[in-house]
Amino acid sequence: MAWVFAAPALLVYVVFLVYPALSSLWFSFTDWDGLSATYNVVGLQNYKDMPHDPVVVQAAINNLIWAVVTVVVPVVLGLTLAVVLNGKVRGKPFLRLIFYTPAVLPLVSVASIWGWLYNPQYGAINAFLRAVGLDSLAQPWLGQDSTALGATMVAAIWLRVGFPMLLYLAALQGISPDLYEAATVDGAGKWQQFWHITMPGLRPAHYVVIALSVIDSFKVFDLIYAMTYGGPGTATQVMGTWMYFNVFQYNQAGYGTAIAVVITLVAVVVSVPYVRSQTKEHAV
Amino acid sequence: MTSVVPTAALPDTIVTTGEKNKPKNQGIGTTIVMVLAALVWISPLVLLVITALRPLSDFVAHGPLSWPGELTVKNFTQAWDIGNFATTYRNSTIVLILKVPLGVFVSAMLAYALAKLRIRFGAAIMYTVFLGLTIPIYITIVPVFVMARSAGITDSLVGLIGPYLAFGIPFEVLVLQSFIRQIPDEIVEAARIDGAGAWRIFLTIVLPLSAPALVTVLILDAVATWNEFLFALILLNSDAHKTIPVGLLNFQGQFSNNSTGLAAGILIAVVPILIAYTFLQRWIVGGLTAGASKG
Amino acid sequence: MINRRKFLGLSGGAAIAAGLAACTGTSSDSGSTTSTGSKELRLFTYEDNSTIDLLKEQVKKFDTQNGTTTTVDSLPGSGAAVYPDKLRTELLGGKGPDVWRIWGGQIGAPFVKAKQAMDLSTYYQKYGWDSKINPAAVEGMTFDGVKGGMPFIALGIGGWYSKAAFAKAGVTAPPKTYAELEEANAKLLKSGITPLGTGGKYGWHVMRLFEYLLETSAGPDLHDKLLTGDESWDRPEVVTAFTNFKKWQDQKWIPDGAVGLDPAEVELWYVQGKSAYTITGPWTEAQGIQAGGKKSEDFGVFEFPTDHDPLRHSGFVEGYMINAKTGNPDMAAALLDFLNQPETHKALKITASVVAGAEPDQATLPLSYEWAQGPAKKPFYTIQDQAFPKKEADQYFAIQSDVLQGKTSPADAAKKMQDVIKAMKK
Repeated sequence: MAWVFAAPALLVYVVFLVYPALSSLWFSFTDWDGLSATYNVVGLQNYKDMPHDPVVVQAAINNLIWAVVTVVVPVVLGLTLAVVLNGKVRGKPFLRLIFYTPAVLPLVSVASIWGWLYNPQYGAINAFLRAVGLDSLAQPWLGQDSTALGATMVAAIWLRVGFPMLLYLAALQGISPDLYEAATVDGAGKWQQFWHITMPGLRPAHYVVIALSVIDSFKVFDLIYAMTYGGPGTATQVMGTWMYFNVFQYNQAGYGTAIAVVITLVAVVVSVPYVRSQTKEHAV
Repeated sequence: MTSVVPTAALPDTIVTTGEKNKPKNQGIGTTIVMVLAALVWISPLVLLVITALRPLSDFVAHGPLSWPGELTVKNFTQAWDIGNFATTYRNSTIVLILKVPLGVFVSAMLAYALAKLRIRFGAAIMYTVFLGLTIPIYITIVPVFVMARSAGITDSLVGLIGPYLAFGIPFEVLVLQSFIRQIPDEIVEAARIDGAGAWRIFLTIVLPLSAPALVTVLILDAVATWNEFLFALILLNSDAHKTIPVGLLNFQGQFSNNSTGLAAGILIAVVPILIAYTFLQRWIVGGLTAGASKG
Repeated sequence: MINRRKFLGLSGGAAIAAGLAACTGTSSDSGSTTSTGSKELRLFTYEDNSTIDLLKEQVKKFDTQNGTTTTVDSLPGSGAAVYPDKLRTELLGGKGPDVWRIWGGQIGAPFVKAKQAMDLSTYYQKYGWDSKINPAAVEGMTFDGVKGGMPFIALGIGGWYSKAAFAKAGVTAPPKTYAELEEANAKLLKSGITPLGTGGKYGWHVMRLFEYLLETSAGPDLHDKLLTGDESWDRPEVVTAFTNFKKWQDQKWIPDGAVGLDPAEVELWYVQGKSAYTITGPWTEAQGIQAGGKKSEDFGVFEFPTDHDPLRHSGFVEGYMINAKTGNPDMAAALLDFLNQPETHKALKITASVVAGAEPDQATLPLSYEWAQGPAKKPFYTIQDQAFPKKEADQYFAIQSDVLQGKTSPADAAKKMQDVIKAMKK
């Protein structure tokens, strides 16, 4: 009976995602240029080349930084917003709309807007810093290796807060109000209630939100591609953009696919504790 | 820089509102702080709106961050034509209506099977589905294009449905199964004892109790579908079949961009999604299930 | 060697086996050509809404004359980004368009190398394209000796400046030597304006400046040999070019943090009064000056002085290719020839034609006309993001970016460039 429920989704999933992905996987063992009718099988050569590619090393480091920052900050902010906007605040629907709106925008507009804000000579951010007398802090945010990644992460946070907020808002509905009433009667303050009722009640949501955010951060591609194009130089390359450059722009589809396989493997490792936690809770 | 403000401000507000227990004042301090945070959050968007409201010549002559010399709504009427919105709106809506409810429904079925039914290889399915989250679309486009071609459905909206469903499923299943897991087993058990079959339990108990999660997933999926670019780009050719994100390319020339038109086009493109979101979010937090989940 | 098509052909079969595909044309992707007498053509291009209707009109005219049916599909967008990806996928996954527009140099090269574009030498003879078309442009569509495409427009890069900004700084005439250019920069900066508006996001725009500095320090002969890898980059002329490049940033002759700026924004600064001039092609007259509501007479164009003879500027070519698998190559070639007629070019409002007799209109586009009459007739060297494959071009730009940020010395930059070229030639 269970399979009747599982079958439709699994069938579509296997045909349109697993199968195309696997048929691409094959190319990671070849030197295919992504265009020609023929190619050679090169075994594991693409994988062996990776550690010697300085951009891969840089991209891996960038991915790690990116993962830590763009998981922790949006999740914490999103949780805070969800809790506050689930409580006694006026204009809740409006506020929820505003914090979610950036997530709806097409990335081309996000890249333009932040490009305008970050412009070193005419941008709003440097203009603000100069206006409050912090001239020394004004700098070409996207135009130097030292700040470019940070600048893209700020935009990412702006963009992504709505996602955890929405999931946490939904999860908060599952926590019984009775628990809070009882706690208030017992004299527990709001902080205590937050730590002892809200946080444990959100545990399953934490798993989902964090797991999805981590995967998302490993996959990051289009925001960086649109905002910095991986530059200056290769300063903001991540695995996702580097894979794209190789597959589509450098005619190294084999090598690029190998990078994709590595990202997928990393994600599988990340998923192990998550899947364990989920299946254990409901031992069959 | 600006986005740091809410981080610092928010935890305090929880404390302050908690300590004030006068019912009438409750929430005012928080409201003020939240409104300020929201203003900061929305400020970059003001640029987009201003750009959409100024003539292109003014934008080109003075740059994006200047104060507009004059305001106009002409961009919107022009953008409507340039972006071919009459067509792309229809196409995107068709895809949305065909795909999103179907995708959420089959995902909910799989999630239900994983969370509440005794399904064999449950963990293996979970790993496989999780894996799907990491697969970049552009790695799969050539095989997908070949499949669509052999099925004769390139340059057709129907051809988008399969890949769209498949790439939405991992996320939807993972979120939904985690929520469905939270439904107390006793409720399901009780229904079963009453003689309800798996379908009835799914339709009358599981789905209603998961309403907040379903609506959340529905919103996120609708946004993703509405904005999906790569498959639409690769699979659609003719203007008659293009969706909104592909139509937005009409604002980008080889050497220069029609920035004001693009800004207007983007606003035209996102407004329905924002309206739908405003409308749907009531169901996330509407307390529909607050009583039920007490068990 | 394994045949990729067979492999993907199997993929198609598997999909059908999975029972999902309501299969119509089973072997349509196996590479077989359709009947040779086909009267149907499909043209794929990247023209935006300002020109696409003109093109469709002309193609219709061709159809009426020849009894053909030609579909025109366009995918506008900031050029090199999405269009080649889409074209590539169509060619890989099926038959692809019969005719497509493409840039020359290394953007077009892979399609010829993979033999997806037809060798057009017989049609060059048949229609006499060799004699009708500007030879420098033909060069840009010739790949390893194979005439893989028919050039259509050739765009040259020059200095486009605001007369007001030059006057305010006391620069009476456009510079004639590199020393004069530096002097002009100093004067402009003193008058409170950034001299050159250029932005390095995507790499190519700042590359325009560097390739000019390299042409100036190395001269035409050596420059060409550097590009082909016949001379080492680890030499004083290259170091000089990098040193000057850094000087432009240090002296603030280009904007602060130029490497991070979007060229589509910065290029317009000379129209907005935020920079004195920019380095770009004749499209800027219509899309920069006139789109900004300004008059052409308030602006001017000059050739960047290299102090060498011949005085060359950089440029690039766009053209059309024919699918090697098209069902009707003769008709496709006839369409190409039709598109390259001077009358067609005039109807398409092309400002940088590769054929004589289609100069831009002097009354509406005086500066483009001026450019077409003089500099456009001279030889040019390929812009360097198209002179190298994308990967090497990106590495080249990464080195430039490091130089501008002071992370790499000019001498080291020259050495690193030599490593890049050496690795490429391997």
